[in-house]
Formats: sequence, C-alpha cells, structure tokens
Amino acid sequence: MQRVLQRLFGHNGYPLSALIALLLHGMALATILYWSGESASAELELVQPTLVKALLIDENPQLQERQRLERQREAEQLRQQQLADQRRREQERQREQEQQREQERQRQEDERRRLDAEQLRQQQLEQQRQQELLEEAERQRLDEQQRRDAEIERQRRLREQQQAELRRQQEEAAAVAARTEFELVQSGVALIQQFIEDAWSRPPSARNGMRAVLRINMLPTGEVTAVTVVESSGDGAFDRSAEIAVHRAQPFSELAEMPTHVFNGNFRTLSLIFQPEDLLN
Amino acid sequence: MHNIAGVHEVNEPLGLLQLIFGASFEVQIVIFVLLALSLISWCIIVQRYLVLSAAEKAVARFEERFWSGIDLGLLYKEGSELQEEGVAMAGMENIFRVGFKEFMRLRQQGKADREAVMEGAQRAMRVAFSREEEKLERHLPFLATVGSVSPYIGLLGTVIGIMNAFLGLATQAQATLQVVAPGIAEALVVTAIGLIAAIPAVVAFNRYSSKVDSVTGSYMTFADEFSSILHRQIHSGS
Repeated sequence: MQRVLQRLFGHNGYPLSALIALLLHGMALATILYWSGESASAELELVQPTLVKALLIDENPQLQERQRLERQREAEQLRQQQLADQRRREQERQREQEQQREQERQRQEDERRRLDAEQLRQQQLEQQRQQELLEEAERQRLDEQQRRDAEIERQRRLREQQQAELRRQQEEAAAVAARTEFELVQSGVALIQQFIEDAWSRPPSARNGMRAVLRINMLPTGEVTAVTVVESSGDGAFDRSAEIAVHRAQPFSELAEMPTHVFNGNFRTLSLIFQPEDLLN
Repeated sequence: MHNIAGVHEVNEPLGLLQLIFGASFEVQIVIFVLLALSLISWCIIVQRYLVLSAAEKAVARFEERFWSGIDLGLLYKEGSELQEEGVAMAGMENIFRVGFKEFMRLRQQGKADREAVMEGAQRAMRVAFSREEEKLERHLPFLATVGSVSPYIGLLGTVIGIMNAFLGLATQAQATLQVVAPGIAEALVVTAIGLIAAIPAVVAFNRYSSKVDSVTGSYMTFADEFSSILHRQIHSGS
C-alpha cells in the first residue's frame, strides 16, 4: 500500500498535496465569484421575503383545519364504536325474546348507519371543496402580487436605464465638446474655487441649503471687473459675504498664462454657486 | 456653473471581487501574502496527512508481523530484501533494523560483555527513534506559525485599509457613509481572509500533534519491548 502510494505520488506526496491545495483554493475562489455574481444580480430584491412570509402565515389555517377534521373523524369513530357496543349488548339481552323485532331493528340500524356514513362523506366532500376554494383564492392572490411586484421592478429598471443613458449622453457630449480645453479649464476653476473658498468667511446667518449664484466678469490678467448676484440666497449678508470673498480673492494671476481662446470661452464670465455645505447647524 | 462645496458620488453595489481588486496596493500585498500562506499551509496539511496515516498503518502492520512469532533473523532478512528492491525503510521497522543490526554486530565481535552489547543496541535504537520522530514532526511548526500569525497579518491589512479610508475622508468636505463604507468593507475582508487561513492550520496542527504523539509513543513502547527481548536472548544464549 505504502509502496503504491509512494510510486504514484512520489517525493513524499509533495506534488499531490500541492495540487490538492491549489484545487481547494481555486474552488473557494470560484465559489466566491459565483456568490458575488449572484448577490449582484439579486440587488434590492425586497419582494421575495414578503412572499415567503405570506405563504407561511396562510399555511397555518389550512393545517389547523386539517387537524380539526382529523380530530372530528376520530371522535366520530369512537362514538360509533360505543354505539355498536351498546347495540350488541342490547341485542344479546333481547335475542331470546324477540328475534323478529330484533331483525327489524337491525335493518333500521343498518339504514341509519348507511345514512350516517353518507352524511359524513358529504360533510367531508364539502370541507374538501371549501379548502380547494381557499387554496385557489390564495394562489390567485399570490400570482397577482407577484405580477404587480414584477411590474414595479421592471418600471424601476427602465427608469434607471433611462437615467443612466441620459447621464452617459450628457457626459459624452461634454467630453467631446471640451476634451482639449478640459484640463486647463478644470485646473483654472479649481484654483479659483480654492482661492475663493479660502477668502470666504461665512456670516453667522448662513444656513445649510442656502444657495447664491454669482456671475463674475474677468480680464485676461485675472482681475475681476464686476461681480453680480444672479440668484440671491434670500439672505443679504450671505450674498454680500460671497461678493466680498470674490473681491478679496482676486486677482487670479494664474489665469494670465492661459491661452486666449480658452480664457474667452470659459473665464470671461464665470458663474459660481455658493453653498455653505460644511456647516453643521 | 461650478459647485464650490458640493460632493458628487455615484452609487454602485460592491461585490467581494471588486472589493479585493479595487483595494489599495498595500492591502493587496497583504491579501497576496495571506493567500500564499494559506496555500502553503494547505499543502502541508495534505502532505502530513499522507505521511502520518501511512506511518500509522505501517506501525499496525509491522507490529502484527513482529508479534506473529516469526524468527527475528528472518524478519531482518526480509527487510533487507525489500531494501534492495528500493523500498525505503521507515518508522518502527527502521528502529527494529538498526537495533538488531547493532546487536548482532556487537555480539559477533565477541569481545564486549553482555551489558555493553545491550547498551550499544539501545543507543542505536534511541538514535533511530529520534530521527523517526523528527521526520514525523517536520513542517508542523510552520502550521503553528500560520495559525498564530495570519490573523495578525489580516489585522494589519485591516488597519492599513481603514487608515486609507480615513485619509481619503480627509480630502472630502463632507463626510458621508458612501465615502467611508467601501474602504472599511475592503479592510474587513482582509481580516476575514486572515482568519480563513488560520483556522485550518490551527485545527490541523492540533490534530497532527496528537497523531505524532501516539505514533512516537508506540515507537517507544516497541523499542522497550524489543530491547527486553534482546536482553532475554543475550542472557539465555550464553
């Protein structure tokens, strides 16, 4: 046995164990891959749990009904047994005296038993039918719910797709229009933002959600010629603080190095939004 | 128009793989180290399993042969034939062969007295025993090291990841959960990998240690029994 093992796997089993270890890790990785793919496709599926819950709740009454039926049937059987016992005793007592009447009664008994059985059978049938109806209604309700959920899901997906498409189109258009100037403009705007942010002291009346839009006109040297409030925040002090910040931050001398057409296209008039986003109150 | 202080974030669901491949360079190095440790430790787990189970079987087989009443000289000769065929002697049979060879050699020289012969045989068996024990215990310390160290390595990765997450947070004007969450998740994945590497190593180390103990215990018992047989032989033989 040992010889066979050694000959098969050789070198104290190192190659075999390396192979097994590699396989094991590969399998673990594949499981993770599969799992993550699964979870990505099943994102935001809030429908499934409610469905399961509904099934569980509605299963119970059926079960109870079935159990109740079972109990009833058992009680019926017991009763019949007792009846039969009584009858037998009676028969024994009366057999010597009234053979004929006894037969008569027996026939009647038979009749009654048959009727009883018939009644029981009908009762069971009725219950079964009711149960079936109940199940049918339940199934229909579930189907309906599923369909509704699926519809909502589909609409949501469509909406998301449309939004994504729109966003993509916008991004593409912007990229095509300004690919060459893009970086220059970006760095210039970032500089201006930085300077203004540094120079801006927010007034105590500033609140989150406030928004002021200022238009500034600039010369190619980076000097600001005019600042106008295009859209007021509703708070005079806030608007004024923004204006003061622009004046304090100018001149933006870095803009002087910018090519003229870039400056003319992007910086001659520049709109800036002021939002006190990082205030905590 | 340009926002002065707004933050724009795009939300996308994160999978485990994106988390690992999107992790920062340091974290990826830690993950790679852990993966390598796990690979090596699994390699050792399988290899030790083969070796130890073969040793256990060999013990049972040889003990059966030895106590079957076979002549010791014959048993020795059988082993020699097997060795000539190219089968390596290991375990209990090796101890037996070394002890018996030394015993015969010393006795044939004739000069030494009985106690010296016994002592020589016992010494030879002790040496063979410690060699066999060494063979069985090889690589087990590595498993112990992986078991105790890889959680720490994972923790190191987590700390680096969380540090990166907070450094990234420092450049944001607004601290939202979306900014921090991916970094922390990425960091926690490393701890998970460390634990996954450590657990099998610890289990295997404990199990194999007890296996080695039982096998070496039976070697020791056998060596004692065999030397008592030799003792009997040398005292009755004269």
